[in-house]
Amino acid sequence: MASISARRLAKELREIQGEGCPVGISLLKADDFATWWFSIEVMGESLYQNEAYTLQFRFDSQYPISSPAVQFVVTDGKQAPIHPHVYSNGHICASILGNEWSPVLSVVAVCVTLQSMLASCKKKERPTDNDRYVRTAPENPKKVRCHLPKSVSSANSFPDTIPL
Amino acid sequence: MGNSSSSSTRAHHEDTVDFGSLVPQGVYTGPRDWNQPIVSQHIVARKLAPFYRPLEEYDPSWDDDQILAARKELSESDNADTVTRIEAAATAHLNASKSANKRPGVTKESSRPEAAVYRGAVECPICFLYYPPNINHSRCCDQAICTECFVQIKRAEPTTTHLVSEPAACPYCVQDNFGIVYTPPPWRAGISSEGSSSLWSLDPPRSPQSIETSPPFPTHKRRQKSFGADSPEVVTTDQIRPDWEAKLAAVRAAVARRANRRIIMRQVGDRLIPVGVGRIQTPEEVAAEATDVAGSRRSRRRQPQPNGNFEQFVGMGNQDLEELMLMEAMRLSLIDHEEHQKKEAEEKKKQAETALASGATPASGTPSEIQAAPGPGPSTIEARLATHSSISSNLSSSPASVAPISSGSSANSQHGSQDGLAPSRKSWSISRSRTPPPPSNDDQSTSSRRKSATGAPPFSALSAALVSSSTSTASAFLGGPIGMDGTAPSTSSANGFPSSHPDRGLPSIPIITVDDNTHHPPQTPPDETSTHPPAITSTSSSMSFADAANHGPMSYGELPSSPESDILHEPLITRRREPETIGKVVVSGFSMRGEGQRSMTIANDDVFFSFYFVSLHTTTHASLLACLELFLTFLGGFDEYIMTAISAFSQFSPPNSSNNFSIRIPLEPLRVSPLSGHV
Repeated sequence: MASISARRLAKELREIQGEGCPVGISLLKADDFATWWFSIEVMGESLYQNEAYTLQFRFDSQYPISSPAVQFVVTDGKQAPIHPHVYSNGHICASILGNEWSPVLSVVAVCVTLQSMLASCKKKERPTDNDRYVRTAPENPKKVRCHLPKSVSSANSFPDTIPL
Repeated sequence: MGNSSSSSTRAHHEDTVDFGSLVPQGVYTGPRDWNQPIVSQHIVARKLAPFYRPLEEYDPSWDDDQILAARKELSESDNADTVTRIEAAATAHLNASKSANKRPGVTKESSRPEAAVYRGAVECPICFLYYPPNINHSRCCDQAICTECFVQIKRAEPTTTHLVSEPAACPYCVQDNFGIVYTPPPWRAGISSEGSSSLWSLDPPRSPQSIETSPPFPTHKRRQKSFGADSPEVVTTDQIRPDWEAKLAAVRAAVARRANRRIIMRQVGDRLIPVGVGRIQTPEEVAAEATDVAGSRRSRRRQPQPNGNFEQFVGMGNQDLEELMLMEAMRLSLIDHEEHQKKEAEEKKKQAETALASGATPASGTPSEIQAAPGPGPSTIEARLATHSSISSNLSSSPASVAPISSGSSANSQHGSQDGLAPSRKSWSISRSRTPPPPSNDDQSTSSRRKSATGAPPFSALSAALVSSSTSTASAFLGGPIGMDGTAPSTSSANGFPSSHPDRGLPSIPIITVDDNTHHPPQTPPDETSTHPPAITSTSSSMSFADAANHGPMSYGELPSSPESDILHEPLITRRREPETIGKVVVSGFSMRGEGQRSMTIANDDVFFSFYFVSLHTTTHASLLACLELFLTFLGGFDEYIMTAISAFSQFSPPNSSNNFSIRIPLEPLRVSPLSGHV
């Protein structure tokens, strides 16, 4: 029997292919159950009008119990959106990708959340510790605990990003 | 029919509850870290839905065959046993129902009860698989969750960087203390079904209720109220993992141990040589000590430690692996040292005889000279060793034997840990409490320190914050077999005389050499007792940095002439002053560079500071940790934040390609360096 991860993703994929993605989100690549790419664009008026970004999802075998590793693609000439919770290496500081992940969430739900994160942005800027973070960040964003002050995360007692 | 079942059906009944299993069906492949007996118990008690084989899909129009065909293939590796058992049982049922389906009222759809239970199947929103309608529902928001998924949900494992364990939140509504409520079907089958109505007697389901609600399967009525986490109906994630508290405690203890580990330094000329790893007192301990009677205090505080250490050796207690490994490394190196020591002793004897015969002491490299060397370090520890062994050689493992010595040397001391140290102590521990002692204490300790320091003013206000440490772990911690690529300079530095130290003129930081210079009594037989922490115990001393710090580097030469130095003239000591090392950790090439002005600010009013990057080049993980602690100690002390950083660091596995590590250390705690005016 396929792993829970593959099976659930198969169902999610079927749903995406059957019912399509929400507006502004489209599936770019899902060749396997390890890495998926989505295109995400903020619809309507926002700082990111007419800008499309590429989101990468990576799943481990314990998905959906364990969260997917989600980041913006910054290779192949692609760039991460300039946002106070998005580092220039594509890592995203969003609580639902970390300690507030719930197995009830799905790939599409994450896309929608990140889409609205961009949509609600007031000022295009990088996180204040971007340079330092990018220099030391592990490849997998899941190995870092989200720490930015205004992230929607609940109280995080640890004062800085520390590799887990 | 259910009651007159064949033997295979009987087996089935014994292993299943309402046609579901007591064990998971392989939906998840990860470790089954919940308490399976408790889960089974809850299933049998009908407080938790049994593990049903899920359906990949479900369509209400399906007949039994389609339902059974849609049941998930079980993963063979995982559940081969269960599979066959259930398969066999299902077949048995099939045959049984076929042979006896003359029973009135049995409809076509429900001719196979194991299929009938799936009528009205519900999709679990987490695994997206379909289960019989008698599925668990979250206690808080009444959402369906299958048992497979429920047992996967747990508290986040505490880590050394995240020392709290929040109860698992509901995946649907994020309420704390996730728990489920299960409403069993109105019939029973399998375990604990005796005496209650079976599926067949109710089959086709035509209980009054189901007639009213029309669907022939149990449906879930949305309930209005939510259940409290402590309701008797509720099964919480904590209930099926009752060990979460123990796990948390274990991690906390490990961190506490690590945080309390301190490196005991000895000053040799302009350098600090670490001689051991100690344990710092918590402010509570300090406070307790201040109110304690001087005499009994030490033994009370120290006694448990060797026991604890001993327990580590016999594998008791919940030591973390790292510590055990260090202890083992230490033990091995001590054994090694024993042998070396024996040889040395023999040589020494011969040498002494020769010397006696010639009537003159050799000019260099002999015990006496080393003894007189101005290096302040070894004397204290070895004095202790000597006294220790001479007073109570049979008590070698008991730290209590240290007590009379210490209290004797400062009888008027109120604050034992600090004034247990006479002014002439030359070996000290640079150990700082993370928090300064309580003020009430402070006055007392300061005054008593002044007293015992024979009028010499305390080094600085810092001394108030310097809480002495009692060594619970051997210096070999640092000097184990790790990093045996030690260089010659390090060996000579271990000798304890600055004059011979090649790096003497260098600034303080570039190289830190960690050598173990603590030797235990040569006459101790190399048996088990002697190879265990007694050697450690022997370094066990309460010493204050402040007293030694009173003397500038220029005053070292006076130290051997201090009142205690006559102890040094005992032959045992001189023997032990041989330039031996048990092992070394050589740390070189610290490279530091400042980083940013300020890092993030975060919750709890914690202001955070700039960081240093420290690159360490060492060989093993253990030595890395030791070196890092050493380095931090060297820079001026420990702090919670640093410890957190270290803990985080310790979870890094060293890359194979390079032995180069970087770690961020908050600058603030390092700002005050007790050594700044000193080294």
